[in-house]
Amino acid sequence: MKKIIVLLISLLISMTACTRNNDDDDMMVAVSTPETYSFSRDGNSTVSFSGQTTRIQMANEIINRMKDFSATETTLHNMFSNKNNSFSNEALNSSSKNVKSKTAASKDFFESNASGSAAVRADFEGWLTAQVDEVFPAQNTVASEGIAGQIADGSSTRYVNAKGLEYNQAFNKSLIGALMVDQILNNYISTSVLDAGSNKDNNNNDVVVDGKGYTNMEHKWDEAYGYLYGTSADKANPNATIGSDDSFLNKYLGKVDSDSDFSGIAQTIFEAFALGRAAIVAKDYTLRDAQTAILRENISQVVAVRAVYYLQQGKNLLAAETPDYGAAFHDLSEGYGFVYSLQFTRKPGTNLPYFSRAEVLAFLDQITTGNGFWDVSPATLEAISTEIASRFNFTVAEAKD
Amino acid sequence: MKRIVLLFLGGLLIACSSEDDVTSPDDSSIGTAVNFDRATMLAHWADAIIQPGYADFLSQLQSLETRAAQFTETPSEDKLVSLQSQWEEAYTVWQKISMFEIGPAEAVNYRLNINIYPSNTDLILRNIQEGSYNLNLSSNRVAKGFPALDYLLFGLAETNKETVAVFSGDQGSAYSVYLMALIADMKALTETVKRGWESGYRDTFVANDGSSATASVDRFVNDFIFYYEKYLRAGKMGIPAGVFSGAVMTQNVEALYHGNYSKHLFLTGLIAVQDLFNGKGYGDAPDGESLAAYITALNAVKDGADLSLLINSQFDEAKSMVAILASFKEELLQQPPLEFLKAYDAVQRSVPLLKVDMVSAMSITIDFVDADGD
Repeated sequence: MKKIIVLLISLLISMTACTRNNDDDDMMVAVSTPETYSFSRDGNSTVSFSGQTTRIQMANEIINRMKDFSATETTLHNMFSNKNNSFSNEALNSSSKNVKSKTAASKDFFESNASGSAAVRADFEGWLTAQVDEVFPAQNTVASEGIAGQIADGSSTRYVNAKGLEYNQAFNKSLIGALMVDQILNNYISTSVLDAGSNKDNNNNDVVVDGKGYTNMEHKWDEAYGYLYGTSADKANPNATIGSDDSFLNKYLGKVDSDSDFSGIAQTIFEAFALGRAAIVAKDYTLRDAQTAILRENISQVVAVRAVYYLQQGKNLLAAETPDYGAAFHDLSEGYGFVYSLQFTRKPGTNLPYFSRAEVLAFLDQITTGNGFWDVSPATLEAISTEIASRFNFTVAEAKD
Repeated sequence: MKRIVLLFLGGLLIACSSEDDVTSPDDSSIGTAVNFDRATMLAHWADAIIQPGYADFLSQLQSLETRAAQFTETPSEDKLVSLQSQWEEAYTVWQKISMFEIGPAEAVNYRLNINIYPSNTDLILRNIQEGSYNLNLSSNRVAKGFPALDYLLFGLAETNKETVAVFSGDQGSAYSVYLMALIADMKALTETVKRGWESGYRDTFVANDGSSATASVDRFVNDFIFYYEKYLRAGKMGIPAGVFSGAVMTQNVEALYHGNYSKHLFLTGLIAVQDLFNGKGYGDAPDGESLAAYITALNAVKDGADLSLLINSQFDEAKSMVAILASFKEELLQQPPLEFLKAYDAVQRSVPLLKVDMVSAMSITIDFVDADGD
């Protein structure tokens, strides 16, 4: 309730602060939040995000293939850039899309930062290469300090590098930031993309894209939606199965939502997507941009909560009298990826992430220095957890279980 | 509490972001109402920049034709070197006029007929072997223009000696005929474009001095930004560096076979863009009205700074970052080519200044949209 009042106040301010804003008239028309993500024009659906569905499916095949010891470095690299029919799903091979070209590729963060984008892509390709070069040859070696190999995690077997890191986890969880979060928060729901070129004029006049039923602005918003819900069972009502529709952002939004300290966040995010889209239909861009701010805050928070959660899990396991290294390393590997993903989060009202790439790399350096997970101290993990939580609206205690 | 403050600030920022950060004192006035004469700027562009540029380029092509004729008559290494250096001269001048793809140039697809790269060397060789080809076919665009000359003069063999041997060998006359035909085609296109300006388009261009989407300034500014973004930034740097595809494509650099001219051509193009922006006269022609002066007349500022100064210093930064690179080819061998990409980023940073801030100050609508592959 408090949130609503504040929102109303800030909208009021926006009306007085910028009198030349000719969208003000639209403010008088109340736009309500749709219950489902279904929008149509002349009886035909205007919602489309098949390219996002495709990329989530591609990413899913890549992370599975990283665990297939017969995979070669070439195969994994080809899958990342969709070359030479490397997917088992033929539809993915024949698609013109690929994961790599949308990794660290948002307009706001990377259009004028091609060197930064290349550095991120080099990280991902480095993990693919290292998986084949370092981990695969050690399939039947027992992992130990400084030695890559396999390690038991309960009834599971994990395959780690010499520092205890599972490259497939690093790749998987980092991609949540570099692909999904970056494309949503820093690209498709950004005014720089939504209002590019004549998008606003066209949307105001219901000028649709050639041969399509949607305006360009509507479509951009849908593409953001698709990176979270693109493989949902019911794409118009995705919260029915939230958490079980992919191995990426959808999955971890489900996990965070199931923590009682954050329950309701999935609904908040869905409603912001639905209301933002309705606002575009109603040509109310102030309302639309208010939803962008909500999405930036909440989706960033999902990444941060999971980063802290896994660092805490790892810390607790390592602090035990006889540490379960396998379980701890698995958690820390996931945490590694979520920490990496923090560089793609977005502080509402700024053009900045909550943590810069340099800060993120410094954290990762702290937990992988020396023998890495084998000798990282609980104090280090605690300090990083605290620092992450401090920039968000939650505590380490809330995130850790 | 933190959340409230954040949202509060968020609301404020969002409220003002729809109009961008560029402001001019009287926002209700559109471009022409300000004390700035668009027609004077158009006349300056036409008379002191565009037409002198075409005239210079045509004379460069005439020299190229002369030296090619001398070389093909009695091929020698000396004559090849002289022809190669004139190719460099002409290609350099091309970079100063390539951006003017409007009117007569647009009508003949001038840019795509003169400078599509990479060229298709199989097609070039097939044309030479068969001896029958129609250079007016659009399918032959990848087998002509400067890139095809690049291949014929620098790419047929490892050394100049061997290249001379090709032109004086059994099939020498077929190579010579093709070489001359390519230059004749470039010359004919250039004469058409130049004549088009002289016989009517200049006056049409200057007279169309309004501020609608079809007015000369609006169209020219769109073409100018399109050139900067797609041909200079992406074509000469971004695509070879794999900015869009993620894969470095060394074979896509301009002047591939010469091997050490890509940077020079890029810088010439960038300087030409900045000169146009500042209304610098071509060669000895006088300086005059410009986009920079227009911005100043509009009093456009961004984050408290004069927008035209920001744009100029961004061009300057890009120039100096590109200037410290070596041949382009050399940088692209790095994996990933970070030094090259940093220079590219400096080039890219002018795009939003031109495409968002400048045009919004001038009330010009951008008529092309990025296709992002979704």
